[in-house]
Amino acid sequence: MNSIIGYYTTCFGELWDKSLFDLVKESIQGVFKSACIEKRQIDAVFFGNMLAGILENNLHSSSKIAEILKVNIPVFRVESACASGSIAFHLANQYLNSKSGKTVLVIGAEKMTDYPVQEITNALLGALSGEEQAAGLTFPGAYAMMAKAYMKKYGYGEKSLAYVSFKNHFHGSLNKQAHFQKKVTIRNILESPYIADPLKIFDCSPISDGACSLILTSDKSLIKKAKHSVSVLSCETATDTISLKKRKKIYELESTKIAADKAFKKAKLKRKDINVAEVHDCFSIAEILAMEDLGFWKKGKGGKLITYGLTMLGSNSKPIVNTSGGLKSAGHPVGATGVKQIGEIFLQLTNQAQNRQVKNLKYGLAHNIGGSGGTAVVTILGKKS
Amino acid sequence: MISPIKLWRRQKEIKDKLGKKGKILTWTVIHISPTAFIKQVPYCVILVEFENGNQAVGQLVNYEKKDMRIGKRVIGILRKLKEVGKEDVIIYGLKFKLI
Repeated sequence: MNSIIGYYTTCFGELWDKSLFDLVKESIQGVFKSACIEKRQIDAVFFGNMLAGILENNLHSSSKIAEILKVNIPVFRVESACASGSIAFHLANQYLNSKSGKTVLVIGAEKMTDYPVQEITNALLGALSGEEQAAGLTFPGAYAMMAKAYMKKYGYGEKSLAYVSFKNHFHGSLNKQAHFQKKVTIRNILESPYIADPLKIFDCSPISDGACSLILTSDKSLIKKAKHSVSVLSCETATDTISLKKRKKIYELESTKIAADKAFKKAKLKRKDINVAEVHDCFSIAEILAMEDLGFWKKGKGGKLITYGLTMLGSNSKPIVNTSGGLKSAGHPVGATGVKQIGEIFLQLTNQAQNRQVKNLKYGLAHNIGGSGGTAVVTILGKKS
Repeated sequence: MISPIKLWRRQKEIKDKLGKKGKILTWTVIHISPTAFIKQVPYCVILVEFENGNQAVGQLVNYEKKDMRIGKRVIGILRKLKEVGKEDVIIYGLKFKLI
């Protein structure tokens, strides 16, 4: 079984003094130090990034990473919209399972804040269908349409959505690497301006810069020597149509359901075994749908259960969700997000999460979405026994 | 880069949706738009289910606030979609109006 033996994340936010590859370099140097390994021990690199080609004409990142590392090993760049980081991790895990190598470096990074919001909106649109782009739909717009349908079907108002952001901002206030480290009130959220009705600015994750790296290995001697390690019990992915119009139900992410069922089956665990989870909260509605589609909550109950604070730090329920602050508060540099989610679970399971540490942990789950549900990745990690 | 040949490829299916009736499955109002839609903000985008069961996404035009409701009946129409870009090609496509 493969194990993660090190993790490093840069701060997330508006990092104007750093380029994409400055961030990549910082995260590589950080993770080597964290895992106490050297570059000669790395057999391959998997790099998750979505926008560098569109925004800054920055492609062939494989060889740029080779230049930073001064190596000649295989380097693969992976794109799957906001799930790019998790898909990079998934492929890295498969690479080790196929015995193509023993130890790999997984990087996720994105540089977004050099550009006006409309340019970023345009670039992200590449992950919507042609018809949706022609209609002037945006990513907040696609999730807003899911939210409207969900709220109408189950009778919830905008206040239910606000509880997701309220919780995640509280968690983010405890994370020194988070883009936003400030608590907000339900009133702040409800009074913020609309981005795409019913989603307001406080329902939406921000545009962020950031990079994260993980070391994944199957080398038993490295795992034994590692100061911190967690086992990858499963990492499964599933896809669905890019168009909302082709989905079975607009308020359900089929890709999440399939990936979760596969991941729990492979890990031989039940939903109630999971102590902590990082779920994809690009928009407040997304966390409610994720909790239902992952099987933690019954369909249609999420709008009520979120208001009880069951998933907030300090609750006795399981799982505690998005201790990093989620995409909402920790930030959403799209290619980095999936790696950060897995990294946060690593920190929790190795008791390194400092003032946001959840006690008595055994298992954690990371859930990452690409597009409006076209790709889902569910990763389950277990504490070293 | 948009060109007449690209538009022709994309627009082959639009004629099947023009004049077709359906109902609103869900909707949103976009306040932060992509660059080519800035002058239209705020605008309403709807997901429609046609009477034959097919679905499509498009903007709703000539509406009032009370009309943005799930279940409201609409019909597919041809309209200019967005601002003309540097290629000077006017892009027409599917939008909806209320019945």
